[in-house]
Amino acid sequence: MKISGSYTLAVPQEQAYKMMQDPEVLARAMPGCETLEKIGENEYRMKMKMVLASLSGVFDGKVRIADQNPPESFRLIVEGSGRPGFIKGDGLLKLSPSATGGTDVAYDGDVQVGGTIAAVGQRLLDGTAKILIKKFFEKLTAHAA
Amino acid sequence: MATTIAEIQKEKQVGKRLRRREDPRLITGTATYVDDIQMEGMQYAAILRSPHAAAKIRSIDTKLAEKAPGVIAVYTGKDTEKVGAVPCGASLPGLRVPHHNILAVNRVYFVGHPVAVVVAQNRYLAQDAADLIEVDYEPTAAVAEPEKALASGAPAVHPEWPDNVAFTYHQDGGDVDKAFAQAEVIIKQRITSQRLIPMAMETRGVVAEFRAADRQLNLYTSTQIPHLVRTLVASMLSLDENRVRVITPEVGGGFGSKLNVYAEEALMGFLAQKTGKPVKWIESRRENFLCTIHGRGHVDYYELAAKRDGTILGIKLKIIQDVGSYLQLLTAAIPTLSVLMMPGIYNIPSIRADIVGVFTNCMPTDAYRGAGRPEATHGIERMVDILADELNIDPAEIRLKNFVANDKFPYATATGLMYDSGNYAAPLKKALDMVHYKKLRQEQAEARKQGKWLGIGISTYGEICAIGPSPATPAGGWESATVKVEPSGKVTIMTGACPHGQGEETTFAQIAADELGVSVDDVLVVWGDTAVVQYGIGTFGSRGTAIGGTAVYYALQDLKEKIRKFGAVLLEDDDVALADGKVTSKKTGQSKSVPEIAAAAYRAMKLPPNTEPGLVSTHFWEPPNFTFPFGTHIVVTEIDGETGDIKIRRYVAVDDCGNQINPLIVAGQVHGGVAQGLGQSLWEQAVYDDSGQLLTGELTDYAVPRAHMMPWIEAEHTTTPSPVNPLGVKGVGEAGTIGCSPAVVNSVVDALSPLGVRHIDMPLTPEKIWKLLRKGA
Repeated sequence: MKISGSYTLAVPQEQAYKMMQDPEVLARAMPGCETLEKIGENEYRMKMKMVLASLSGVFDGKVRIADQNPPESFRLIVEGSGRPGFIKGDGLLKLSPSATGGTDVAYDGDVQVGGTIAAVGQRLLDGTAKILIKKFFEKLTAHAA
Repeated sequence: MATTIAEIQKEKQVGKRLRRREDPRLITGTATYVDDIQMEGMQYAAILRSPHAAAKIRSIDTKLAEKAPGVIAVYTGKDTEKVGAVPCGASLPGLRVPHHNILAVNRVYFVGHPVAVVVAQNRYLAQDAADLIEVDYEPTAAVAEPEKALASGAPAVHPEWPDNVAFTYHQDGGDVDKAFAQAEVIIKQRITSQRLIPMAMETRGVVAEFRAADRQLNLYTSTQIPHLVRTLVASMLSLDENRVRVITPEVGGGFGSKLNVYAEEALMGFLAQKTGKPVKWIESRRENFLCTIHGRGHVDYYELAAKRDGTILGIKLKIIQDVGSYLQLLTAAIPTLSVLMMPGIYNIPSIRADIVGVFTNCMPTDAYRGAGRPEATHGIERMVDILADELNIDPAEIRLKNFVANDKFPYATATGLMYDSGNYAAPLKKALDMVHYKKLRQEQAEARKQGKWLGIGISTYGEICAIGPSPATPAGGWESATVKVEPSGKVTIMTGACPHGQGEETTFAQIAADELGVSVDDVLVVWGDTAVVQYGIGTFGSRGTAIGGTAVYYALQDLKEKIRKFGAVLLEDDDVALADGKVTSKKTGQSKSVPEIAAAAYRAMKLPPNTEPGLVSTHFWEPPNFTFPFGTHIVVTEIDGETGDIKIRRYVAVDDCGNQINPLIVAGQVHGGVAQGLGQSLWEQAVYDDSGQLLTGELTDYAVPRAHMMPWIEAEHTTTPSPVNPLGVKGVGEAGTIGCSPAVVNSVVDALSPLGVRHIDMPLTPEKIWKLLRKGA
């Protein structure tokens, strides 16, 4: 499934970029994220709770940040698996100054799910992904404030 | 005039609309299914299945699961490697048969592939523990569509066969090149028959109990073929076949999906042996979606050659069969049935067919109601309609023109079959009368003027039933019956068939009641326990009555002879007659009833010459040919121009299945078959995404029809007895499904034909129709 969109953060580009590389900030901003621990350079182990329709479960996974080009772009790679199946996401985030002095973040990525979530929740996935991404940016905004 | 008791007894049971004797227990929830079986100390198995369609297994860690509460054992593919492979029963030249372990070893090939199994005190603990197993997968590229799998550079489902070809098959009859050279018109069409999920109401289930002291495995399983399961599972587990007892309690629907031998059947036997405890596994509905065989999965390319007067000269056909990841019992054989069925009921002298069976990272396909024949029937019936449209000939007329004529039977087809008997125009004419065809066409013309969408679809189908003579089937095509008259005079029939909704508990009793002159209520029909019933083949391919019933009939003939002999001794007259449940001396007029004779036969004070005591007879019947039922279905549809919704205004089914033992049961079979045909035509489709994930994995996403979605079915019949068996029956288990889908699609295409629409692939969802209404063809 392709996911793309954009969001405007009310902080300058440099700060926005830095924030999104900070595991503590990410841990707080990612919906359902229970723990995030560093296991290597730009690589983190993550426990994440997901609820999708009648399915819920904890995913064990990894978050990796790659192709860093501060303060303009980076790639975020998320992989997780758990009782409801697995999820894999790979997205490019591009930052640019917004008209209002904040930062426009444009994201473009591919999400793949498998197992029960694919069989049961496919129809809801698109909408759920959009909600989760929106929440993520809202929390980032709240953190910056 | 008052009816006497004797006259009531003389009334024939065969041909009567008797209510099914099996129904009271089935509809009151008191019947015994696999899940109803309880045993002391019984454990429950939960199977961990792959969430990936293609992946290498790097490692499996079962430590946490082993320590979980209530768990007595955990096994992975490494532990079961010595168990024999899940069997492939079909044989074709050059067939590539992947080794099919009962649990995955090193690699997984489809979502749902069993990877590990947990045995625990109850189902919940077993499932919880299965979730604690950690499998490290290395996902690899998957392919889920057969045409994509054939493209160069496609991921290889089995790395040893990078072209993904499981088999190819070629058949050529008549002179196809000449037919196409002489053709005045050639039409071509790509026609698909989508992947379907058979959806038996009762999912699969197995209970295994190993009695170590007797070295005996008792296996309860929901199957259509208990004896074949016994032979094959015994071989997989290296057990003596006569120390494996397969018991099939009530089966809540099969439709071909239980005409198989599954990994879980051998796996439960393995677990019972290893743990020393009885083990139960009941498939969940989600598992049923993922890992019980699917049906259909065809992409077909048709070319039809004809003369401008509508005479069909020949067909060229390429079938791309989605095989899935493995070859289950009959996977590779199913599309060869499509080739056999290709001529339909038309006189088509030249046919060339090529099949390519393609591996995909999906659940294997195999027999599903009709198994190969609905795909072919859909193809030929669509092509005939397209030809009619091309030549501007009425679809009923073009059919009448091409039917095999009544004086041509037995008729040899270009595909090598010998059609037994037929009167193809009879059901068509009857169905046309029922819908007032001419008037209906006028109404259609009026409706079109008013901008309304009214469609009339005709399908004149044929089918291959009573599968089948042994040379044509992988495991023997005969059937067996033992009939006993017990000392009390009660009659017991043991059939090698395995009825699971076909009603043979009633129809076989009707046959016996007539032959012996006893009451239907005195006849017990027994099946499905390999320790009780002589070896048999099973119930599938519309064979139960035509072959199993004939075996019963011949066993009864033997038995009647024996009854006459004992009667003659008792009556001290060699010239006796058996009628109305008694043997009568022609000399004295004295008679002895069947119960009196039975008592004497077991008491054996006086034996007739060269006669054993008792009244038992067994017959194994080998049919000389298939049978070939046929019929006409006409569907009248109205389409909502705003929403694309299809309303079936009339559904007329005129089926000819030869003589009918019980017309009520025949009608029931037609109704059920039509329901599944409508499911394929209008709503159902198993959808995998490009990565091999099954998107239609629940009843919320897979649109199996419900009662309120059914139209009123007007079921009628004509009767053309089969000369293949003495009962004159042909079979009707799959007719409804086979006749249905082309009638529905022809009807909707007919409705939309003013837009230039010539073909629509199933399912005909409102979305598809709505788009056509907006854009045209």
